[in-house]
Amino acid sequence: MASRKESMSTPTAPMASTSSGATLDSPVKQIQIEGLVVLKMIKHYQEEGQGTEVVQGVLLGLVVEDRLEITNCFPFPQHTEDDADFDEVQYQMEMMRSLRHVNIDHLHVGWYQSTYYGSFVSRALLDSQFSYQHAIEESVVLIYDPIKTAQGSLSLKAYRLTPKLMEICKEKDFSAEGLKKAMIGFEHMFEEVPIVIKNSHLINVLMWELEEKSTVADKHELLNLSSSNHLEKSLQLLMDRVDDMSQDIVKYNTYSRNLSKQQQQKHQYTQRRQQENAQRQTRGEPPLPEEDISKMFKPPQPPPRMDTLLIAGQINNYCQNVKEFTSQNLGKLFLAEALQGHNS
Amino acid sequence: MSRFFATGSDSESEESSSADEITPKAPGTTFTKQSLLLSDDEEDTKRVVRSAKDKRFEELTNLIKTIRNAMKIRDMSKCLEEFEQLCRAFLKSKTIVDKEGVPPFYIRILADLEDYLNQLWEDKEGKKKMNKNNAKALSTLRQKIRKYNRDYETEIASYKENPMASADEEEEKDEVESGSSSDSDDEPADAKSFLKKKSATEAPPPNASKFLKGAADEESSSSDGDNEDWDSDTSESDSGSEDETGRSTSMAVNFLKKTSSEGDRHTSEKKKEERKKRHKRKERIEEEAEEEAQEEGEGEWEKVKGGVPLVKEKLKMFAKGTEINTTVVVKKLNEILQARGKKGTDRAAQIELLHALANISNENNLGEGILVKIKFNIIASLYDYNPNLAAFMKADMWKKCLDCIDELLDILFNNDKIFIGENIAEDSENLASDSQEYRVRGCILTLVERMDEEFTKIMQNTDPHSQEYVDNLKDEGRVCGIIDRLMAYLEMETKGSTEEVCRVYLRRIMHTYYKFDYKAHRRALGLQGETKSEQDAEESEGEDSAFIMDRLCKYIYAKDRTDRIRTCAILCHIYHHALHSRWYQARDLMLMSHLQDNIQHADPPVQILYNRTMVQLGICAFRQGMIKDAHNALLDIQSSGRAKELLGQGLLMRNMQERNAEQEKIEKRRQVPFHMHINLELLECVYLVSAMLLEIPYMAAHEFDARRRMISKQFHHQLRVGERQPLLGPPESMREHVVAASKAMKMGDWRTCHSFIINEKMNSKVWDLFPETQCVREMLVRKIQEESLRTYLFTYSSVYDSISMETLKEMFELELPTVHSIISKMIINEELMASLDQPTQTVVMHRTEPTSLQNMALQLAEKLGGLVENNERVFDLKQGVYGGYFNRDQKGGYQQKQGGYNRDQRGSYQQKQGGYNRDGQRGGYQQKQGGYNRDGGGYQRQGGYNRDGGGYQQRQGGYNRDGNRGGGGGYQGQNRGGYQGGGGYQGGGGYQGGGGYQGGGGYQGGGGGGYRGGYKGGYQNQDRRDY
Repeated sequence: MASRKESMSTPTAPMASTSSGATLDSPVKQIQIEGLVVLKMIKHYQEEGQGTEVVQGVLLGLVVEDRLEITNCFPFPQHTEDDADFDEVQYQMEMMRSLRHVNIDHLHVGWYQSTYYGSFVSRALLDSQFSYQHAIEESVVLIYDPIKTAQGSLSLKAYRLTPKLMEICKEKDFSAEGLKKAMIGFEHMFEEVPIVIKNSHLINVLMWELEEKSTVADKHELLNLSSSNHLEKSLQLLMDRVDDMSQDIVKYNTYSRNLSKQQQQKHQYTQRRQQENAQRQTRGEPPLPEEDISKMFKPPQPPPRMDTLLIAGQINNYCQNVKEFTSQNLGKLFLAEALQGHNS
Repeated sequence: MSRFFATGSDSESEESSSADEITPKAPGTTFTKQSLLLSDDEEDTKRVVRSAKDKRFEELTNLIKTIRNAMKIRDMSKCLEEFEQLCRAFLKSKTIVDKEGVPPFYIRILADLEDYLNQLWEDKEGKKKMNKNNAKALSTLRQKIRKYNRDYETEIASYKENPMASADEEEEKDEVESGSSSDSDDEPADAKSFLKKKSATEAPPPNASKFLKGAADEESSSSDGDNEDWDSDTSESDSGSEDETGRSTSMAVNFLKKTSSEGDRHTSEKKKEERKKRHKRKERIEEEAEEEAQEEGEGEWEKVKGGVPLVKEKLKMFAKGTEINTTVVVKKLNEILQARGKKGTDRAAQIELLHALANISNENNLGEGILVKIKFNIIASLYDYNPNLAAFMKADMWKKCLDCIDELLDILFNNDKIFIGENIAEDSENLASDSQEYRVRGCILTLVERMDEEFTKIMQNTDPHSQEYVDNLKDEGRVCGIIDRLMAYLEMETKGSTEEVCRVYLRRIMHTYYKFDYKAHRRALGLQGETKSEQDAEESEGEDSAFIMDRLCKYIYAKDRTDRIRTCAILCHIYHHALHSRWYQARDLMLMSHLQDNIQHADPPVQILYNRTMVQLGICAFRQGMIKDAHNALLDIQSSGRAKELLGQGLLMRNMQERNAEQEKIEKRRQVPFHMHINLELLECVYLVSAMLLEIPYMAAHEFDARRRMISKQFHHQLRVGERQPLLGPPESMREHVVAASKAMKMGDWRTCHSFIINEKMNSKVWDLFPETQCVREMLVRKIQEESLRTYLFTYSSVYDSISMETLKEMFELELPTVHSIISKMIINEELMASLDQPTQTVVMHRTEPTSLQNMALQLAEKLGGLVENNERVFDLKQGVYGGYFNRDQKGGYQQKQGGYNRDQRGSYQQKQGGYNRDGQRGGYQQKQGGYNRDGGGYQRQGGYNRDGGGYQQRQGGYNRDGNRGGGGGYQGQNRGGYQGGGGYQGGGGYQGGGGYQGGGGYQGGGGGGYRGGYKGGYQNQDRRDY
């Protein structure tokens, strides 16, 4: 496994291509991760995360030109409801100070999070990434997918919010109009930054040496043919999202219906008023005073669209996952078929 | 009364005079009310007030006394407690106080207490010595009394100015206090006190003794004083209790009174004279007293007349020498009856009186007519004994009543010249002449009905687990006997109208329908020889209850005019049928009656009867093995979770908001007596087991169905409860057994299931309650085997390619034909995708069941459909003028040009054509091309999942593995066949084909199918990418 990590683990092509336009004006174009960081994250998850629970931690590193080097990380401690007064910021500061004392990079450059079947596009992630990026422009979020990793290919992705989304988040304008004006869709919410994993030469040498000595048989998770479990889970999650989406749409629908109904009423009202005024004028009476229409007809509260956007993003994410997975699996199936044909 | 003991040696006259005193004052409403002529309303109310006042004030003085005692011993906490009670008591007597003014003794205690407290407060030394509790109580009390006294400032001030005899001794103070209190009272009270004083002067010995005692003991004397003061009260209660305790004592008193009544009147007159002399200034009082005296006279007189029921006193009833004949007796009877129903009539005495009268008439041979008349009245007054309708008769009273009715019936049977009827007018009665028919007003049927109701009430109010209940229940035989006799009587010609006959029949039915006829049962089994006891032998001589029921009910069906009796009769009839396992008769009768439609308009008792009948019907169906019928019959009752209430077998605990005391009483009255109860556990068990037998195979069959329904909510609830159990021990209760059995059945493990349903515990709890236990158990086992087989096939068919019926037969211990028939049925119903291979006796499975992943995909597609539809609406809204959306309905759905989307007309999922559901005309599992066989067609029906043509599932070919038809097929993405067939999911090409997923044609499919078919109206033209 170690040897595999050495090589570049590039993110999937389509995602990169969609976001490539946006990356141009971003201060970070590439991310270089130390092997140590990856191992630490994996270890963190294996020790503390299970099931749908996620683990999080802080990334430390440096920015070199347009490249972000992540050289170290440390986990957020798991804390329960009992110690509600636990101060995370305090802990982070403390941790970073300690790290500085031992001469480790101590600059905060982002955070990482594990994910469950790729379900990470959420409001919480958006909010925290926004605050990170707001404070430290270069910061990224690393998403580590332990399930995919367990299937044999390390899945690690780095995301940043697009500048457009940053704008919107800053203004906190999540109405339909606001989003439309910003020309933002679910595809334009996050940009993915390519990742490179780099080890020092010494480590590389050690690896080579270890590989020769290692007696551990190669694990072939990669060749696992079973697919239904993973697909079922994904579909289940996807379905939940679709349900959410439907609900949101229904909500929006009711809103627009209310709105149009009200507009109709408003229209009728003004017309009636005009007629009345015209009549009064013919009778020589003074026209009725103009009342504040907006007071009489309070426009219904437009539902915030950000959640819908996030759901759409999440659905997209799931679809990508499923697609990726199935295409890989198909390949494997053909491989197996060919093998079988060959043998028989 | 202590006084009586103290004055044990007093002269008789003193006693009588005191008794004399009692009578007038005793606001013993008894007497005043009886003397109707003289009872003055105004005076009445005054009397009531006075007694109420007396009671209240007594309470207050008692409290005050304890406070004073506490003050003496400096017990502050006690003081505080008592003071609070005093305040409360005072508040209670507010109405009286309002009328009378604040009693001075109350003011006195307030003032004294305050002074005392202040004094204590000043005394720093003493305060220090107090314990903590007391000190605390002192400060609270001080604050309280300060606040409290503010309201009575003026009174207290006036009291302090003129502290009446405050230096006097405690006891005297009490005396004065009561005196003063009555001073401020109304005059009558005054008069009384005067009277008392006078009597005191007149009879010095008791007084002297009293004073003596008072000197000896403060406490008791003061209480004595109280006794003196509230003399009227105690004596009143005494006389009241006399009334209650029994006739004999009251008679004794009456006797006493009677003997001295003459003299009494004189003495009282004399006293009155004296009083007049003494207190001339109070003329008004005098008048009143006079009235009182008069009244007293009246009361006495009445007493003499009414209160002498002893037989030996009958001379009093009829003046000596009067010729006792019918008219006189009738007159007397009427006289007695006058008092009936009036307040204060001594009902026990009245009954006795009537008995005496009956005896007299008997002795004088006045004939049957008058006797019957009297008997009627005796029974009526027995019923009257309890004035409250809700209360039940005492069992012995009721038995008396039973005896009377028996006697009455004897008379009626012996003498058929007596004609009774409720429509006979009082004056057209003929009681005397022997020559003609006797005509007596009265209705024996009503009496018997009432008797029966009382019986029910007695049973309702007896603890069902006591011996008493059993004893009472033994009388049921007598009740039935009486009803039988009455029936015989009324059935005689000219004796009863058809209506009456119907009524008495219904009574009979009501006593029959819930009893299981063991002898008939035994007879049916041909075991009649084995009658164990004589009683049984005797019983078996009678006709079958079924026969009786049939005869009686049919008469009612034919003759009855009131709907209610017929309804009841039908229900009872059904119940009886069901109880005796005559399922088809019962069911047919129920269906013919159409009672289900309008039973909700009936009154609650009938509804309860209906519920009972339905339940019995369900249980009957269960015994017969009609599981589905059983379930349906029990569903209504069980699903509400209020079976207990619905069957009238107990009240559910509910908060008082939903039900006040009045309602509760009414509901209590509706309860069915315990011996008629249907065992609720049996009921629930039957229901749950039926639900299990239906639900488990159903669940297995529809495991992946997106919207499957529950057959029984309650059963699911039980399952969930079972699942929530943190620790799963061996089942204890009936429910746990059923849940455990269900779990076993889910796995197709019929043996475990069987052992959970039928075992020692369940036998003793449930199954042994059935009369035909063995049959029921056999039936159950069989059902379990069958349903387990079905469940097994549903659950595991996907694992098998083929399975031999022989194996199934062995697994489930069923006969081969049964297995064969079950499987055939499943295949016919399209529950099981398989075919039977006759030569090898095997079931060959067809792999057409979608896998869970496929199911999931279908669900997802469905959801996406919904999503798209919703999206459409948003789009519609945007596109049209605002009217667009609202006009939609008139236009007949949106964009239906090509029959696209709209659900109402064509192409929705639920539609037949190309719909989702299996029984599509074209689609479904067996479509035109080749049905189940793998090549060709396949799982996805023609027309596919969505709408018109094409769509998600391709037109031809399907999920076929071999892909023969599809040509190449499968995943390779050639043109047709395979998972993504022509016009399929990704348009013309397969997966990576021309159309492609995100490509131009994309989702909309190649051949004009798919979504695009639905709305060409601009949607995809405008913004294809959004799609």
